[in-house]
Amino acid sequence: MADKVSRRNFLSMVGASTTGAVLFVACSGIPDEEFIVQAPVDLPEDLVKGRDNWFATTCGVCDGGEGVIVRVMEGRAKKIAGNPDFPVNMGKQSARCDSALQMLYHPDRIAQPLARVSRGSDLNPISWDEADSLLKRWVGSGSVTVATNPLRGHLGKVASDFAGKFGGRHIQFDALEQGVLHGAMKTVFGTDRLPEFDIANTQTLVSFGADFLGTWISPTNFSVKYGEFRQGENRANRGKLYQIESRMSITAAAADKWIPIRPGMEGEMAMAIANVIVGDGLVSDGNIARYTANLPDGTLAVFDLATVSGRTGVSEDTIRDLALDLAANGPGLVIGGGSAGAHTNGSFNLAAIYSLNILIGSVGTEGGLFLNPDSPWDGVPSSAAGASFDEWERELSEWRAGNVNTVILRRADIVRGLPRSVNVQQALDNVPNIVAFTDVLDDTSALADLVLPEASFLESWGTEIPEPAPGYQTVGVQQPVVSPARTRDGSRVLSDARAFGDVLLGVAGGDLGATSMKDLVEEAVSALFDLDRSASSITAPTSGLFMRGALQRGGWWDRDGKAASRPQDAPPLANTHSTPEFAEAAGGEGEVFYLQPFSSIALLDGRFASAPWAQSTPDPITSAAWTTWAEINSSTAKRLKISRGDKLIIKSTTGEIEVLAYPHVAVPPDVIGIPIGQGHENSGRWAEGRGANVLSILVDKKDAVTGALAWAATKVRVIRTGLNHEIARAEGSVDAFEVEPQFPIAVVRPGESAKDAIHAAEERHDTYADPDDK
Amino acid sequence: MVTQQDSPYNWGMVVDVDRCTGCQACVIACQAENNVPLNTENLYKEQRTYSWIRVERYWEGEFPDVKARFIPIMCQHCGNAPCEPVCPVFATYHNNEGLNVQVYNRCVGTRYCAIGCPYNVRFFNYWEPVWPEALRNQLNPDVTIRSRGIMEKCSFCIQRIRRAERVARRDDRLVADGEIQTACTQACPTNALTFGNLKDPDSKVSRMSKDRRAYKLLDEKIGTDPNVIYLARVEEKAEAVHG
Repeated sequence: MADKVSRRNFLSMVGASTTGAVLFVACSGIPDEEFIVQAPVDLPEDLVKGRDNWFATTCGVCDGGEGVIVRVMEGRAKKIAGNPDFPVNMGKQSARCDSALQMLYHPDRIAQPLARVSRGSDLNPISWDEADSLLKRWVGSGSVTVATNPLRGHLGKVASDFAGKFGGRHIQFDALEQGVLHGAMKTVFGTDRLPEFDIANTQTLVSFGADFLGTWISPTNFSVKYGEFRQGENRANRGKLYQIESRMSITAAAADKWIPIRPGMEGEMAMAIANVIVGDGLVSDGNIARYTANLPDGTLAVFDLATVSGRTGVSEDTIRDLALDLAANGPGLVIGGGSAGAHTNGSFNLAAIYSLNILIGSVGTEGGLFLNPDSPWDGVPSSAAGASFDEWERELSEWRAGNVNTVILRRADIVRGLPRSVNVQQALDNVPNIVAFTDVLDDTSALADLVLPEASFLESWGTEIPEPAPGYQTVGVQQPVVSPARTRDGSRVLSDARAFGDVLLGVAGGDLGATSMKDLVEEAVSALFDLDRSASSITAPTSGLFMRGALQRGGWWDRDGKAASRPQDAPPLANTHSTPEFAEAAGGEGEVFYLQPFSSIALLDGRFASAPWAQSTPDPITSAAWTTWAEINSSTAKRLKISRGDKLIIKSTTGEIEVLAYPHVAVPPDVIGIPIGQGHENSGRWAEGRGANVLSILVDKKDAVTGALAWAATKVRVIRTGLNHEIARAEGSVDAFEVEPQFPIAVVRPGESAKDAIHAAEERHDTYADPDDK
Repeated sequence: MVTQQDSPYNWGMVVDVDRCTGCQACVIACQAENNVPLNTENLYKEQRTYSWIRVERYWEGEFPDVKARFIPIMCQHCGNAPCEPVCPVFATYHNNEGLNVQVYNRCVGTRYCAIGCPYNVRFFNYWEPVWPEALRNQLNPDVTIRSRGIMEKCSFCIQRIRRAERVARRDDRLVADGEIQTACTQACPTNALTFGNLKDPDSKVSRMSKDRRAYKLLDEKIGTDPNVIYLARVEEKAEAVHG
């Protein structure tokens, strides 16, 4: 061990002059405490005027419905953090949460309503009165489509009711639609609400394609449980995670075993696991009976290890070991989603995956999954998924046929998000009136005839029903926590924005049961008070105090409000399509790859692209930021003479994009992974013209059952351009070198101490490093 | 003789690498809390980004037996900090609560401290930080914006520590365990980061620091005596070979 030289020792060795000087001063009678180096009076926090307040509300940007608290000073939001009370995220947050502040104070927020005199002319400022009357006139002529992001809670009800009142429909858009997942839930468990995954108490966790720690559904919720799964104080053993995925997400990186699989073959692997468990009788007869009840004879035999291994690219031993582990080391839990459901056989894949929970007896048991109850409010949507690609094709054909008079868009960037083959822009050209609610112009709202500045969730009233719920009835209450955003000198309002729900209710003129979202929220909370639940999170003698409690805590939940999770029979899995089909690559030069689009950890599908914090967040795997890159296997790249930063053309049969190559070791040789989220023509100064939109080159393959877009079923050619650009990335900004074995990440076996592991590593290191010394 | 006032606190952090997923929540929460300048694309390309806490990724193995491992790195608040004795103006010093403190108004930008730091966690402001006027609304008023020409680094969210200590003094008590959360520990969704008082034997960080998995970065080699303690990653077939 090296000798330690402390700073104080060092100072004493330097000489007496320093000490002498101090002594001299000390002798002058100044007390010792005067030598505190930094005077507290100068601390900046002591100079701050005003008082901060933390308000609870519900996040309105991500999909999970997390509770947040917002630090507000003088009407301005300063920080967003997870709401420690809220049972979904339990005080925690993702890398995206704080970006909502930058969206609130975005310098490119639309300041006031804008309208065009005619299609193709410029957008010009108008007053809200003019905008209101225009909107009333347009929707008054009927045939209205309201297109939004997936909406739960009262805003979802308002959007649907509004569309219904004006002779139209409410259609929801999600670029990476979750309809296949909801469909699989319905098939396997009889409810399309997503269940509560009891990851914290699971011993063996198997995930197919679901990047649940990064971007899938409710990652903060899952991450909190994952922390307990690994090192929970009350656990007997550390949990074990298998991730079966065609690229390395952060969930795959966290896994004890990452199993790369041929894209689209996840369902077959699930069936092979079932084949082993059933064939070897590894679980109870009752479980096997429930799993096989609706399975036609001979179904499992098709998925024998040798066949499935050949088709999936996963070794027989790996499949068998996983099956044995899952059956023997319970409680087990099997989840699936993301790319596993984004194939032509997506419904089969997810049904086969989730049915494994029935086989291992994990439905309604600790460490397994629990079905979630319905909303406490009748008629209010508690589950939402984007409409299928099939439905969108039908809707767009109505627009093209001139059957829709007015389209109202809200956070549905369909021009950017739907494949080029459906030509959304041409469909919009045939709609007489296009209205868009937005904060910053995106690629779809830029085409609107009337653009209405929409208030942030930090400025609006609303309710949220988180999905998945924590296993019991839970609602979030959203309240305005800041004053309308103003320029910093306070001279003008940054954006004269109004809440989407308030505008719809106003235009409907009271016909939707309320004239403001605030009224609806108060009514809704009052209804919760009337339920008079004994395990309610709020106890108050009056409805008014109950409302105050709901605002203080950011919502309401009833830990007894659970759904029955009973063992049930698995569905007839053989009736669904099991083999994936791919859109073949375009002809011409270049090697063919499976295209694996994936959600960016900071931008998701692109909704956060306007925020500079989100843009600058390093991707965990590549550390890249501010751009679009293509992950390619480093050996494959070497063979193709592709280096980091090489500009590549990624070409499908419907189009091509240019991205920068990022070779690394954790990509299957035949896969190219490209993040979703960039490639905006609009979306503010930090997003415009940056990177490429991989969604634009997807071919319109669909899931055979739901008609959802099979967004992982496109093959592409990769062509070198001969150009090279530097990738903005965090790695390399500090030197990486191995200072000592196990530095900086020490790895121990279960029960081993870090000290022993490091010393053992040093001994091995010395043996390897100094063979000539002997 | 000058002696530092005794303090009941020795602030420290425990990082459980086995819980960390590399999600970057700590990184952005820190930037939001501490008015860290925007890391623009150009700053990345010039390798002059600011990140008081960063998550490093290390590869091990080759496809398909490959692992990516993550570790958050921030100022280690060393008891024997190599950055402290080299500062000619005492802009960085060790306070009596275990913090390696940076006094911005003293710093003259020699960057000796950054050269001395073996953890590469000190950042020099090559430019005046710039935010569009509207975005300045969300700046934290408790935290000084650092001007061009000086060093900055993780302060363990000293503004939150001071606040909690003031409240505790007012109530004539000590800061309770768990009362202070730095922005990164508050955000971390897997609870991989824990902050607390290492002087309190009953605090969570004290208990965790005695875990069999505990180690300190480089401490045995160069004796920096960090106040950040790491808990090793657990793997069934751990091999001490790193790429």
